[in-house]
Amino acid sequence: MSGMTNNPLPRELAPGVFWLGNCLEQHYRGRSYHGYNSCYLVLGDRAALLVETGHPKDFPIIERQMGPILARHDVPLRHLFITHQETPHSGGLGRFLARHDGLTVHGDISDYHMAFPQFADRLRPMEVGDAIDLGGRMFMTAEPVVRDIGTTLWGFDAGERVLFPGDGFAYSHYHWDGHCGLVAEEATSLDLIETAAVFAELALFWTNFADMRLYVDRLYELIEELEVTLVAPTHGLPILDLAVTMPKVCEGLVGANREAAE
Amino acid sequence: MAFSSMTELAPGKVFAIQNSFELDGRISAYPKSARGACVSNCYLIREPDGAFLLDTGYGAHEKPILAQLASVLEPDVPLTLVPTRINEFMSVGNGMAIAERFNVVMCYSPQPDAADWLDFKAVDPGAERREIPTTLLRGLLNLDVGSAGERMIDVFSAPLRLINTTWVFDPETRILFSSDMFTHRSQPTDAGPWLIEEDRVTTSAFVRSFLLDTRYWWLEGAETGSLRRGIADVIERYDIDMIAPGYGAIFKGRELVERQFAVLDDVLRELDCSVTKPAYVPRGKRR
Repeated sequence: MSGMTNNPLPRELAPGVFWLGNCLEQHYRGRSYHGYNSCYLVLGDRAALLVETGHPKDFPIIERQMGPILARHDVPLRHLFITHQETPHSGGLGRFLARHDGLTVHGDISDYHMAFPQFADRLRPMEVGDAIDLGGRMFMTAEPVVRDIGTTLWGFDAGERVLFPGDGFAYSHYHWDGHCGLVAEEATSLDLIETAAVFAELALFWTNFADMRLYVDRLYELIEELEVTLVAPTHGLPILDLAVTMPKVCEGLVGANREAAE
Repeated sequence: MAFSSMTELAPGKVFAIQNSFELDGRISAYPKSARGACVSNCYLIREPDGAFLLDTGYGAHEKPILAQLASVLEPDVPLTLVPTRINEFMSVGNGMAIAERFNVVMCYSPQPDAADWLDFKAVDPGAERREIPTTLLRGLLNLDVGSAGERMIDVFSAPLRLINTTWVFDPETRILFSSDMFTHRSQPTDAGPWLIEEDRVTTSAFVRSFLLDTRYWWLEGAETGSLRRGIADVIERYDIDMIAPGYGAIFKGRELVERQFAVLDDVLRELDCSVTKPAYVPRGKRR
């Protein structure tokens, strides 16, 4: 089974930043976990930007979630920022471009011209530090500390200081305990250390072998440099209180199940 | 002139479907600095009454791949898909187009509901979609290419990987299908050759740089002992005469195969944290 029922999204996390998307159920060692394949809509005065396309299967859901928000704020969707090429992040690219005239794709654009050659002229490469002016707020690319493919870029909304780390801060949640649609701090029964470790073992194979303390140190530095107040990951629940939640996620990352490496 | 070829690796048994692309800094599987040309490789393993297709290719190659497949596969032959990297466009890009043209009866995938992972086109949520029966890939599977139990292949998780990756070994032809490993042999032009029996490019220094500048940046100072043991187990367990990677030139001949494994082991040994100090590796660092 994939997908979910009673999807509680969209949800406005900060002024002009909306959480969209859907869950994907996965089974591991006899237990059922839900992970998000989230997208985030960032609204400026002149243009809206969507972070990630969501899983390809979720395109109709995301369109339904996004449409009324764009209409209510009278802002066109002009930019699609994708953190990296894995299909749960980028697979909806062709569908969004086919549906939205004038929409362009931003980020590290590797492979997209091979996957969607009909849209090669709508790809705009970015590097760390590049910015997009949405009108009254800037969307920037940030250093991708934890990446699932070498071409990863993270996004950063300078308006509300929201970090979009793609596969960074990845962990699942408990559908059976009502976590879908909650931010991390609201999901009080969620064992963040365990779910972050499980996700790392399953989806971030390399974290089982690399010294993740070095990556965690750099992560803390980046959070401080950018003065991040909110983290909006693709697979984990959004984080509103970094002081409380970030240590747990980092502990899971460092302690990512070491069985594979032993 | 783009290179597009159906190469028969074992007569009537294994076909390489090769289509070229330019290396211009926009292919995630290759270093940003790499120039020249390369090929994506899909492989058809077949028997008279059944066939397996490993990877489905980039969307940009849809037309040639469908034509290449049609030249050796009758539309009614039961076809099983094995995307070796379910999250990567090169593995899944034409899955639905192939399912609509050929008799796809099964997809082996680490995720359920394979059709959800193979369909990138339909905008209309009400559009009818070809459903594909799915079997979950877990552990080592010994699968029958046909129906008589006479052509079994091993399908297993890659011992060294970034994302979820599957390797396949075909004992009858002694070919190891290595997905995104051993992909370092690009060429100056798309003329190739794309099946090689001599190799003066593969050195430890070259492979080290290739791995670190692509999807294995994290190996520097990592604990590579168990990775080396996993790879050694493959070469010890299987009698391999050919390495057929998902990208780049195919390596033919026992000596060449052994050299590829030896170089990879040497690189991993040198990168181990007991030899190389672990370091945080920022995006884009070239080594």
